[in-house]
Order: sequence, then structure tokens, then C-alpha cells
Amino acid sequence: MIYLSLFLQFFHIGLFSFGGGYATLPFLYHIAETLKWYTVEQLSDMIAVSSITPGPVGVNVATFAGFVTSGVLGALIATSAIVLPSYIFVVVISKFLEVYRTNKKVQAAIYALKPAGCGLLAAVGVEMFAQRANFTGCVLLLGLFIVSLKQKRDPLFYLGVSAVFGLIVGVLGLLNA
Amino acid sequence: MLLGGGYVILPLLQSELVEKKKWINSDELCEYYALAQSIPGIIAANTSIFVGYKLKKQLGAIAAILGIITPAFLSIIVLASLLREIVQYNFIQSIFWGVGIGVIILLFLAVKEMWAKSITDRFTCVVFLAAFILSANFKISPAIIIVLAIISGIIYKEKYEKNILRGEDDLS
Repeated sequence: MIYLSLFLQFFHIGLFSFGGGYATLPFLYHIAETLKWYTVEQLSDMIAVSSITPGPVGVNVATFAGFVTSGVLGALIATSAIVLPSYIFVVVISKFLEVYRTNKKVQAAIYALKPAGCGLLAAVGVEMFAQRANFTGCVLLLGLFIVSLKQKRDPLFYLGVSAVFGLIVGVLGLLNA
Repeated sequence: MLLGGGYVILPLLQSELVEKKKWINSDELCEYYALAQSIPGIIAANTSIFVGYKLKKQLGAIAAILGIITPAFLSIIVLASLLREIVQYNFIQSIFWGVGIGVIILLFLAVKEMWAKSITDRFTCVVFLAAFILSANFKISPAIIIVLAIISGIIYKEKYEKNILRGEDDLS
């Protein structure tokens, strides 16, 4: 039953991802590697489209992954399942707000969770780099990297530049150089 | 409608909910935003659900979820279907080759932002490295790594506090 396992996968992503929309990516990467509902290249395309589409990246990318896995119904299930834990947490925490804010165990957990979420995402970045990087790719990456150090820009800028660069390199036939 | 993910939502909510609609005040918004980052899930969604729940309890929370999901849902379905149609063209593949590199920069920037908010001392640095190495080499489920992080954080804080207490005893 694909819909049930889709629900369970995205529910557990909603439950265990800390640090915002991009924190869901290690889980989606793990799905690509183990369940093979989509490929890593497809995931990369999903991230790109999700970053420049209205709406939070995390919601977008979940919708996209659900759609690729099993159509419109899949998208609906994935999106609902990923926000369901948020809903439960908000309702429960709102009732015990003071207890939650001052509880030492909660604070200790959050203190360790954030760097872990960060480390997981860094691993995804490195693996995607390892899969893609050839000479031309490294040139583009280095260029974007230098620009990102100088000035903060939005995702549309980076993806736009990359798209144009890809197009030119494709015309010149240097994609695999 | 928002572009660019969780971290741009705060100014937008500030102008819409606090200044225009006056549903909540600025302090409440900041508090919800901070809480939203401390629970699992997508920060933008969490913040909206907090605001919805504050205003109209369960019904408000559900309305907030629908409000944040629907635009994303519709635009992604349209784009995803479109993408499926055009992906066979060669030049589209060149574009997505480039975009794949762009995504790596986006990931790098996201890591940088998370790093600034989370790595504050030696312990958090060790947790970062442990999570990175475990997930990069052994293909362990990220959920297991998160659970391990929670456990290690609680144990570390307990030991740390005991040490501080002991230190004070020595002084006196």
C-alpha cells in the first residue's frame, strides 16, 4: 500500500526534522537512496523548483516528492502528513507553554538537535556535490560561491545564473567536460 | 504567498498580521517564531499554526494549515506536471544540469545559516561532526541520528550541571 507508506514516511519527516524546510532534505535524500521512489537527480530538480515557487520550501518539496511518487493523491498525502506533527505539537505545547519553555530536558534536547540537523544537511550537500562535480561544474560552483560570500542574494538569482550557465555549456557541448 | 522559505516569513507576517490585521502584537509574533523553531517541522508552517491556534483554537490552526499548504500545493502540481512534459528536450536537461549546481550553493547557504544559529561551543561542534559523519558514511536513517542527538544533549547537560555544582562546592 504505497499511500500508507507515503503517509508514514512524511509523517516521520515532519516529526524528526528540526531547523526549517531544508532540514527535511536529508530525509528525502534517504528515501531516494533506500526506497528509490525517485532518484537523487529528481530530488535536486525538486529542490530547485521548490526554492523559487511561492510557499515554504519544505511544504513545496514534500508536495513535489509526493506527486513524483504517486500523483496528485500522493502529493496531498505527503503534504498533509508532513505538517500533521506540527499541528499536534502546536496544540499540545500551547496548553503547556510555561512548562515547555522552562523544562531543562527540552532545552538540552533543542541544544543538541540544531547542530545535528545542520550536520545532516551538510552531508546531503557534500554527496550531491560528489555526484555532480566535473570540471565545468566546479567552475560554476566556485563562481557562485565567491558571489555568495560578497553579497546575500535570493535563490532565484543563483538558480537563474546556473540555468543560463548550463544552457550555454550545453550548447557548447561541454556538459561532461 | 511567500518566496524563499522559513527565514523570510518573519517580516512578512509582521507586516500582514501585526500591522495590517492587528490579530497579534509584535512580541507574540516573535515568541511564536522562536517556539516554531524549537519544535519539529517546517518553521513557516509552525509559526502560522501557532498564530491560527492563538486566534481560533483548533479551527484556526486547521485554517492556517490550509492557508499555507494550498498555494504551494497548486503551484507545485502545475509545475511538476509541466516539467514532466518538457524534460525530454536536450536544452532543458542542460538547464537542469546547471540548476543542480545552483542547488548545491543553496544547500551550502542553508547550512551556513543553520550553523550560525546552532554551533555555539565544543559540544555542538562535536554533534555536528558526528551527525555529518554518521549520515555521510553509513547511510543511517536521519531519524535515528536525531534521536541520538536528543539523548546525547540531555546526558551532556545533566553532567555539565553536576560539574558546575561540584565546582561551587570546591570553592566554598
